[in-house]
Parts: sequence; C-alpha cells; structure tokens
Amino acid sequence: MLWVHMPLGSIIHDLWIASIALQVFLAVVLLKKEIWRQYPFFAAYVFFNLFAAGISYSLSGRGMGFFYTFWVCEAVGLVMGLAVGWEIFTNLFAPHAALRKLATVIFRVAVVFLILLACGAVYAQPGNTRGIVKAVLLASEATRIVELGSIMFLFLCSSAFGLHWRQSIFGIALGLGTCAAIELVNVTLMTHVSPAAAQVFSLVRSVSFNISLLIWLGYLLAPERAPNVGEVPKRAQLEQWNQAVMELISR
Amino acid sequence: MITVIVIALALCAVMLFYMAVRSRRKQAGDTFRPVDLNAFRTLMDRDDELFMKEKLPRSKFTRLKRQRIRVTFRYVARIASNASAVLHMGEEAARVTPTPEVAQAASQVMELATQIRLQCLVAMAKLSLEYAMPSLQLTPAMLVPKYLSLRENLKRLGALEPQTLVPLASAI
Repeated sequence: MLWVHMPLGSIIHDLWIASIALQVFLAVVLLKKEIWRQYPFFAAYVFFNLFAAGISYSLSGRGMGFFYTFWVCEAVGLVMGLAVGWEIFTNLFAPHAALRKLATVIFRVAVVFLILLACGAVYAQPGNTRGIVKAVLLASEATRIVELGSIMFLFLCSSAFGLHWRQSIFGIALGLGTCAAIELVNVTLMTHVSPAAAQVFSLVRSVSFNISLLIWLGYLLAPERAPNVGEVPKRAQLEQWNQAVMELISR
Repeated sequence: MITVIVIALALCAVMLFYMAVRSRRKQAGDTFRPVDLNAFRTLMDRDDELFMKEKLPRSKFTRLKRQRIRVTFRYVARIASNASAVLHMGEEAARVTPTPEVAQAASQVMELATQIRLQCLVAMAKLSLEYAMPSLQLTPAMLVPKYLSLRENLKRLGALEPQTLVPLASAI
C-alpha cells in the first residue's frame, strides 16, 4: 500500500471509499428492485465485488495478506465478469428464437477468435519478468480481451439485427464494457511501463470502476422507456415520400 | 504490434459504446415510416434492368444502375428500420399481455420481423456488391412477400390489441 503515502494516494483512497459506498447503494437497488432474480450472475458479480472491496479494505496495510487476497479476488472477479457477459447474451436473444441459433454460432466463433487474440497477447509479452503480479496481469489482459470483445460483439449484433435492448440490460452491458475497455488499456500498458507509473494506473482503475458503478446505477434506477406506438406518419407525409421517390426514379 | 491491436480494440469499443448510447437516444424518437411496395417492386425488377442494359451505352447504364441501387438501398433501410421497430413492439406486446392469443400473434410477428431484418442484411450486402460492380446481377432478396405477410400479421395482432397496435399495420 505504498500509494497511500504518495501524492495521488489520498485521491485513490477517496475513490476506493466512494466505490464501496456506490457498491453498497447498488446492492441495495438490486435487492429492493429484485433485479437479482432477473440477472443472477450480475447480482453475484456485484455482491462479490462488494465483498472483495470490504475484505481488501480491512486487510489494507497488512502486506502479503492484502496482496494475495487482492489478486485472488481479481481473478475470481474476472471469471464472474465473463459469466455476466454470457448472461447479457442470453437475455438479449431470449425473445428471439429465430436469431438465437445463428447468434450462438457467431458468438462462439467470435469467442474463439478472441481467445486466439488473447493467447497472442500473452505470447507476445517479453518473458524476462516473472512473478504472481506479472502472471495475473497477463491473465487479466487475456480475460479482458475476451470480455470486451464479446460485449462489442453483442453491441454489433444487436445493431445489425435491429434488436432493442431493455434499459437494465443495456446499462449492465455498457457499464461492464466501459470498465473492461479502460482496464484492458490499463493492464496492457502496465506491463510495458516502469513500476513508478503504477500509481497512475491505480487512479485510472478506480475512476473507471466508479464510472461503471454510476452507469449501472443510472440505468437500473431510470424508468424503462415505453415504445413509441403513438407516432405514426400522416397520410400527407406518405404522399410526400412517394412523390420524392418518384422524382428520384424519373430523374 | 499486438499491444497496438489491443489498444485499438479498446478504443473501438469505447467508440462503439458511445454510438450505441447515441443511437438508443435517437431510437426513442423514431417513428414508423411507410414503404411503397409497388415502387420497391419496380426497383427490384430485373427485366427493367436487362432492358436498360440492352438499350443504353455502358457508362450510362452504370450511372443509372448505381442511382437505382441508391434508391433501393434507402427502401431496404426503411424496411429494416420498420422491421426492427415492429420487433420491439412485438416484444413489448408479448411481455405485457395476459392473453395467450396476443402473445402467440406477437411472437409470430417477431419471427417474421426477424426474418425480414436478416434478409435486409443480405439485400444490403448484395446491393453494395452490385454498386461496386454494376455488371453483377445477384438474385434479389424476396423482401416484398415477407413484408406483406408482416403487414397482415400486424393487422391480426392489431385486431387482438386494438388500443395500442391498430395504427401500426397501416403505418408500415
């Protein structure tokens, strides 16, 4: 916990406290609105992160105890993040039986490609440094590639197929994706720079996680927008359109 | 090299998320837009194209065909957009209705809208290819019969759920 005594340390510490407060609030929202029934993996992910933050906070300043707890929680959190990605996929395609098969096939191909890219990223790292931190950073980079890639796939697919995201699932995907994107840049650059820059990465990490928490809260608390059934075109508009097309054709 | 790819992936993701948020906001104000299927049929007619190919000089034919493809593309985009909006309506209707008949009709409408959406993707890919190579003549997508069927199914659904869905069939 060297960073606590450094200039940026207090900001990072404050952000850490803020993230715990936001996670408690998010957990309350999940329980109160019974969102955990609909998105059990996401709820488990949030509760686990809260638990990990609590444990890490209580162990902060205790050397190796904190170190191992932090990295084990990090690894478990990454796996749970992937499970949330899968939950988003199943929820998004649940009402579309015709698309589900096709989307599953494309999703699997995309995941295989992402795993290959992740393996490439791990393989391309210089092998002169060893240790648990390095190993976890590499694993984290590989997992973030798969996580972010699969969320990007979902956004691209929904746009191509014209699917509509429900407010809550859109927020979950957006928050997870934002966090994964910033984390991916973070861990990728972290393996290339000197340890002195670690503090900046901790700051970016804290900020990105807090942003994700705010996105989740915002989308889960905002009321679901009703579809716009009432706005149908008037006859005059239809005629204008036909006329415009006829002009285009006969031009 | 791989680091650059990974960073580029992350940046693309951030841009994609930004676009998704923007398009979601835009979608909220979207309305259904009518499609003149007769005009669309004419645009897709291959005999017309063959006639133009025979009668016109190559350069003029290429210019005309590209113009025609641009208009057709707008029609296909409109059909795709309507199918997507119908998909959303169907999803909502199936979710909130207590009546099994409405739920079944809504799921049929959704199935059709999904098929149309997929066919629109194929049609757009074909049109893009033909635009790049105007001498190509790919099989046109069978969008018109499916779209007519969607209208019929939407009418049926509207009859079951008149307070919310009646205007839609005439709107698309």
